[in-house]
Amino acid sequence: MPTHADLLRVFAGVAMVGIGGGLPAHMRRAALGRAWMTELDFAETYTLAQLTPGPNAVNLAAMIGARLRGWPGALWAVVGVLTPGLIAMLAVTVVTLGLPGGLPAPLQSALRGAACAALAVMLTAALPVLRVVGGLRGGWPLALATFAGIGLLRLDLLPVLAVVLGAGLILHRPRPQEQP
Amino acid sequence: MTDAGANWLDILLTFTRLGLISFGGANLAEIERVLVGQRQWITPGTLASGFALGQIMPGPNMLAMTHYGFAAGGWAGAAAATLGFYGPTALLSAAAALAWRRLLGWKWLPTIRSALLPFGGGVLLAGVLVLARGSVQSVAGAVIAAAAFALLTRTRVNPALVVIGAAALGALIGL
Repeated sequence: MPTHADLLRVFAGVAMVGIGGGLPAHMRRAALGRAWMTELDFAETYTLAQLTPGPNAVNLAAMIGARLRGWPGALWAVVGVLTPGLIAMLAVTVVTLGLPGGLPAPLQSALRGAACAALAVMLTAALPVLRVVGGLRGGWPLALATFAGIGLLRLDLLPVLAVVLGAGLILHRPRPQEQP
Repeated sequence: MTDAGANWLDILLTFTRLGLISFGGANLAEIERVLVGQRQWITPGTLASGFALGQIMPGPNMLAMTHYGFAAGGWAGAAAATLGFYGPTALLSAAAALAWRRLLGWKWLPTIRSALLPFGGGVLLAGVLVLARGSVQSVAGAVIAAAAFALLTRTRVNPALVVIGAAALGALIGL
């Protein structure tokens, strides 16, 4: 079993090798390689992490930490996975937002270029989710309704969530004959 | 960015709400609606550049929230945004993990997953639209975005490298 210091150190290491994404894969390697979890434990935890609100990678860290060392374990895993990025982000933020005269022109151009590429990253992150959605009963109509409501009509999120989630729950409700 | 004196408690509560309503990834459309539209704590440009910076940072790529918090209220704002966005959802996750044996046998669990996924997919698409409005402001920008997308889908290159490469290209051509 890992100590709190182990969790802090390993999750900080996961964050540092996970620049650009793929954090769940690095967490899997870290936890299985140290025999902290079995493949099945990880698969179950990963499934649950998709269902809780919030950023998936941080949720997954909290869940792995909690399974290994309870509440304090969750805390140390989350602090570990966030700390390297927080330090780097704050350093860059102070420079980019804190300069009195604003950013020099070349840096502004660089940030605009980076933002265009980040758009592409966001789109590639959406594609696997949309593929899974396409295989679900009512998946595409509900996804498009969500897109129209939030993206085009700029409706408040909670009513959209209530309608789409409600329709999905009715469509996919457990049926008596499917029970073991 | 204009209001450097936003109340930290207000920031904490606003970012807590934003964390609790994002499923499966960044809920950029709602983040934009609240932070840019309603509160006017950040500009569309800050939204796009903060998101881009998050892609080249170690760790979870929604560290942009810390950037937005700093823009809204300086150091206290950054701390409040980070705590609000990550704290409550991490607590919920830990609680779910500790109750996992009961949750995984629950017959409604696959139902909830199937009901949440289309919502999550729609939210991600809306985020793409919002991000495109903030970042693609010229033909050159659109070309960079398209080239990055082609690179990311056809090769196994690290996304952080693509973002850094696009930044270098942007600086070079004075985007």
